[in-house]
Amino acid sequence: MGLFDNFFGKKEERIQIFAPVEGKLVPLSEVSDPTFAEEILGQGAAVIPTSNQFFSPVDGTLTTVFPTGHAVALTSSTGVEVLLHVGLDTVKLNGKHFTVHVEEGQQVKKGDLLLEADLEQIKAEGFDIITPVIICNTEEFSEIGMARGSKVTVEDAILNIIKRKE
Amino acid sequence: MKEFSYVIKDPVGLHARPAGLLVKKAGEFTSSITVESGGKSAEAKKLIKLMGLGIKQGAEVVCRIEGEDEDAAHEALAKFFEENL
Repeated sequence: MGLFDNFFGKKEERIQIFAPVEGKLVPLSEVSDPTFAEEILGQGAAVIPTSNQFFSPVDGTLTTVFPTGHAVALTSSTGVEVLLHVGLDTVKLNGKHFTVHVEEGQQVKKGDLLLEADLEQIKAEGFDIITPVIICNTEEFSEIGMARGSKVTVEDAILNIIKRKE
Repeated sequence: MKEFSYVIKDPVGLHARPAGLLVKKAGEFTSSITVESGGKSAEAKKLIKLMGLGIKQGAEVVCRIEGEDEDAAHEALAKFFEENL
């Protein structure tokens, strides 16, 4: 595909989004919240975390750090808007069990610690800890594919994105 | 230009789900649509910016709509806020 496009002077950029946390990679359709499963917020993937530490999946800037600490949004240096949402409905915890280590506007590198979540406590309060990773500006890309494999660490790409350049 | 204001009733404010739905609704119109609250404003078609407003329960938001289909958009969005927020 890439070679063929190049004949016509088009180029494509391939962008990788890494796992924000160690765990099990699953498609968004397995998230039991239609907001994510039906891709209302965009395409992506989800990780069922097995560690309390969440890291930046890209090099970029923190666009939004929710005061409740349950979610952050980043804009990567390659122009991808990534929403990281730890658990479902966890906005209702109002910050409890979350410790945020970054501020809005801050620049981060892939692998920088963003936040910590006490997953045992969150589960004990009855919340699902599955963590969707959503590409909010899905419409700007020609393809967003989930990586293969199930067990992931923060060194593994979970989404492969293709941006076509005119 | 059309505008309306609305006070958020949803106990958790304009969080992911309603924000996503609002972006979808706003995307049905060609008009430019902005949401303003607490001195910050964001395009209603940009999810990340919208959520970045950090709109909470009790906050007043002003929605401004400008463009060819502003009448229809005004009606649809006012209804959307009533039903979802």
